[in-house]
Amino acid sequence: MNIDRSQEMKFIQSSVAMTVTLCSFAMLFATMFLGYFLVRSSVSVWPPVEIQGMPQGLPFLSTLAIVLSSVSYYFFEHKTGGKKVNFVLTIVLGISFLISQWLLWAALKESGILVSDGMVPSMVYAFTWLHAAHIAAAVFLLLWLGFYVFVRTEKLSPLKVINVGKFWHFLGVVWILMYLLIFVL
Amino acid sequence: MAFVEQHIHDAPTSFWSKYICSYDHKVIGKQFLWFGIFFLLVGGLMAVMIRWTLAFPGQPFPVIGQLMFPHTGGVVPPDTYAMLFTMHGTIMIFYAITPILIGAFGNFCIPLMIGARDMIFPTLNMLSFWFNMASGILLLGSLCLPLGAAAGGWTSYPTLSTTLGQQGLGQTMWTIALFLLGVSSTMGAVNYITTIITLRAPGMGYFKMPLTVWGLWLTSILNAIFIPVLGAGLLLLTCDRIFGTTFFLAGAAATSGKGDPILFQHVFWIFGHPEVYILILPAWGIVSDLLSFFARKPAFGYKMTALSLSAITVLSTVVYGHHMYTTQMSPLLTQSFMTLTMLISIPSAIFFANWLGTLWKGSIRFTSPMLFSLGVVFVFGLGGLTGLYLASTSIDLYLHDTYFVVGHFHYTMAASVLLGGFAGIYFWMPKMFGRSMNECLAKIHFWTTMIPLNGIFTGMMIMGYAGMHRRLYNPFIYDFMHKLMPMNTFVTWCAIAMGLAQSFFLYNFFKTIFFSKNKPLASANPWEVGTLEWEIPSPAPHYNFKEIPVVKCGPHEFGNPNLKTGRDFQYQTEELVEVK
Amino acid sequence: MNFSFVERLNGLFAQAESVADTATKALSFWERMMPPEDISSSGHLIMWLFNYTTYVNLFWFSLVCLGLFGFSYLYSQKRHKKAFYTHGNEKKHLLITALIGLGVFLSVDMVITKVSSRDIKEVFWNFPEDSEELVKVQVYAQQWAWNFRYAGRDGEFNTADDVVLLNDLVIPVNKKVMVQMTSKDVIHSFYLPNVRLKADAIPGRFAKLWFDANKVGEYEVACAEMCGIHHYLMKGKMTVLSQEDYDSWKNEQEDIAIATNDTESENLRWGWAWGSK
Repeated sequence: MNIDRSQEMKFIQSSVAMTVTLCSFAMLFATMFLGYFLVRSSVSVWPPVEIQGMPQGLPFLSTLAIVLSSVSYYFFEHKTGGKKVNFVLTIVLGISFLISQWLLWAALKESGILVSDGMVPSMVYAFTWLHAAHIAAAVFLLLWLGFYVFVRTEKLSPLKVINVGKFWHFLGVVWILMYLLIFVL
Repeated sequence: MAFVEQHIHDAPTSFWSKYICSYDHKVIGKQFLWFGIFFLLVGGLMAVMIRWTLAFPGQPFPVIGQLMFPHTGGVVPPDTYAMLFTMHGTIMIFYAITPILIGAFGNFCIPLMIGARDMIFPTLNMLSFWFNMASGILLLGSLCLPLGAAAGGWTSYPTLSTTLGQQGLGQTMWTIALFLLGVSSTMGAVNYITTIITLRAPGMGYFKMPLTVWGLWLTSILNAIFIPVLGAGLLLLTCDRIFGTTFFLAGAAATSGKGDPILFQHVFWIFGHPEVYILILPAWGIVSDLLSFFARKPAFGYKMTALSLSAITVLSTVVYGHHMYTTQMSPLLTQSFMTLTMLISIPSAIFFANWLGTLWKGSIRFTSPMLFSLGVVFVFGLGGLTGLYLASTSIDLYLHDTYFVVGHFHYTMAASVLLGGFAGIYFWMPKMFGRSMNECLAKIHFWTTMIPLNGIFTGMMIMGYAGMHRRLYNPFIYDFMHKLMPMNTFVTWCAIAMGLAQSFFLYNFFKTIFFSKNKPLASANPWEVGTLEWEIPSPAPHYNFKEIPVVKCGPHEFGNPNLKTGRDFQYQTEELVEVK
Repeated sequence: MNFSFVERLNGLFAQAESVADTATKALSFWERMMPPEDISSSGHLIMWLFNYTTYVNLFWFSLVCLGLFGFSYLYSQKRHKKAFYTHGNEKKHLLITALIGLGVFLSVDMVITKVSSRDIKEVFWNFPEDSEELVKVQVYAQQWAWNFRYAGRDGEFNTADDVVLLNDLVIPVNKKVMVQMTSKDVIHSFYLPNVRLKADAIPGRFAKLWFDANKVGEYEVACAEMCGIHHYLMKGKMTVLSQEDYDSWKNEQEDIAIATNDTESENLRWGWAWGSK
């Protein structure tokens, strides 16, 4: 890519701003994880109260979806061939992540795990809600970007692609941490 | 970093684009200022009502009491009292100080002082104000609810702030309002940080920035990192209140698998302690600059001051535990928090010494901004030193939750920040609105504020030492506090006096802005100061700088004996005159 | 709010005021600002450290004032036309500021930290060993009252013969008292102004506190943490009795407890086994 000087400055400016923004988001999720660790360190057995029927398959599917969507977005950003297919794939996978989360909540309810059942269910629900809300926002961002990818292609700047991508990858990393903490460990 | 120039935009023409949905950082700064002053008055009225109740229990509140509490004959009822101190704290911290110090001065000063045409993201800036507005309206709206606004203290500790302790929408609205405010502050912070990093004028290195910008910059960094922490806590609290999660409900996780109220305290104070510095750092920055400006002498140990402020910023993030000594954390944790807290006094002492060093052998002009700055040095000295009592675990066992704490944090967070804010308003008034305020009235305002202010907060500390604890509707239920009645009355009269003294400010402020159209505009540089904003006309034009200035020397070049210009200061755009 | 409540409130105020007027009229300003009488063996530690901090603070603050007012006087524009041009970044300047910082740190912070840590470790959080001599009380805070529980004749807590009192703590003089506490609903703070101590009573957690009282008399127990609109009414009484009086009081209470305790009553069930966490 051939960027002139003002483009380069814009690039620096937006990457500074994006770094700060992601720091803020990271602190939001970090606080949630801190809460998790504080609770976990005060308990000798985990989970403190046995929980029956915690779904395992769905969260794994969600993880798969979000990892693949990050990968396809990466190809969209960096490879020249088949650009737009990869972009569409990202959106589809993002939406399927949301659907799998929805199914997860339904499955939890089915097996009798309710929000008010104590600390662990509270965390499972609230953390996934919060993350899903961010994913939903990010999907809207992707759709907004899609407008430039497909309709007003002349206005599509690499900055937009990179910044939306940073946010998307960030949410992917957060989900993987969340998945490991809540469902695996 | 290479510098790139922002374009000059056309001047806005319609009322709407000029004053309501403006992208101009100066207008947004003024919007924040109005917003802050409005809430300052609301919070101040609440403070007077609280004080009235404490000094004259059972007596109707004068003038407006009958109107507000007809069912008690004008006496503030206990549930309203709880609402009042909760709202007073919330409003003063988040809706008065934050908008004035960070919103108004941050927006107004940063681009002007670093030589930029605007903030880097003007739209984000505008959004930040309107989020702030929405949050303010939500908070005020909660006062009109049938069950009343939040009444669990500004800290809103669960389980009192869960549905167990507070029915009704008030607390929920409080939580959401604060979350919105957090979003607004974070947006502002992203904007400020990026602006300062990328838009400094050519030649403006970090150590050539005015200390005001340093203070605001450090504040923004703390804001960007720690406001989301509060945000997470508030979200969890909202989940507890609306969706029935059990994060903060009683029952230790170990025994019942339920939540833990202490979790909120951790989260709250991880944010809450940096918040103290978020509020005070801009004031410190402004004062450090003004002391040098009006002592007509370079800031003493400029680099040292900037580094001390940074050191305090870093330290402030790791000391939060001293708010929680009485929850009986492990002794090891308690001791580490105590030691870390104590470390803060080293950088504090250093910049204090630098402040006094700036005055030393100066040629001090006692203008109103200078008086207020000197006031900050005085009250912050008291506030900082009284913090030492509370940092110590054993003394805190006695003083925790007493009026000593109230006196201490009002000295640091209220008195110094308020005086710093007034200093800033008097100082930048000509640049903001085009005309200087009346100096005589400003000086009367200073003395009539400063004297009662010390009466109030010293009185509070004395009462705290005598054992009076906080948030009591009627302290005289307790026998050991009967003797404190005269003291309480004294403090209340001081509070009323200080409240009335603000009318000098309001009169002066409104008169200068709205009723001085026939008077000539202030000159470009009425204070004879060399920072960038004083090289452009007053009030600042919407594009700030016609030509982006090239910075060649530091912000505090005063009294150079070799100056040949006839001035005793140098503009930042002038080549530094050698002393040899 | 109904009218009778307002009347009651006004009565309360009137009573408080009249007491205040008569009992405290003779006090000097100095006496008024003194903390309540110290009746514990450990309170003087806190007061010593408080006073030490005050003296050192006064020293540093007078230096600040000296600089602030002195320089303001000496170097006002009238008296000192031309400012001295220095950036204060020479070696000697840095040295002076650093020394001031260090001086504050060594004279105040190090001392406070050290003494405070010692006091906490050796006294306040050095809880006495369980023994026959120890007076054991369980405290259960609720909106807006203090419940106190003594083990009763069998020496076991949470049994049918426990002595349970409302807002009324009775302890013998010169004996170590160990308190375990928790809360029923919201966070409260068990505050004994005369002993200079407080500890938060947090629902779901057990806090502990030990103290002793060396003077017979009646004192107050307060709630120091905001706990709802009637927070200010959450006042208890602490009675310190001589050993003989305490023994006979305890005997009497234990008899009453055995005779009248309603084992079905909710009021009796809140206890826990001593020391359990």
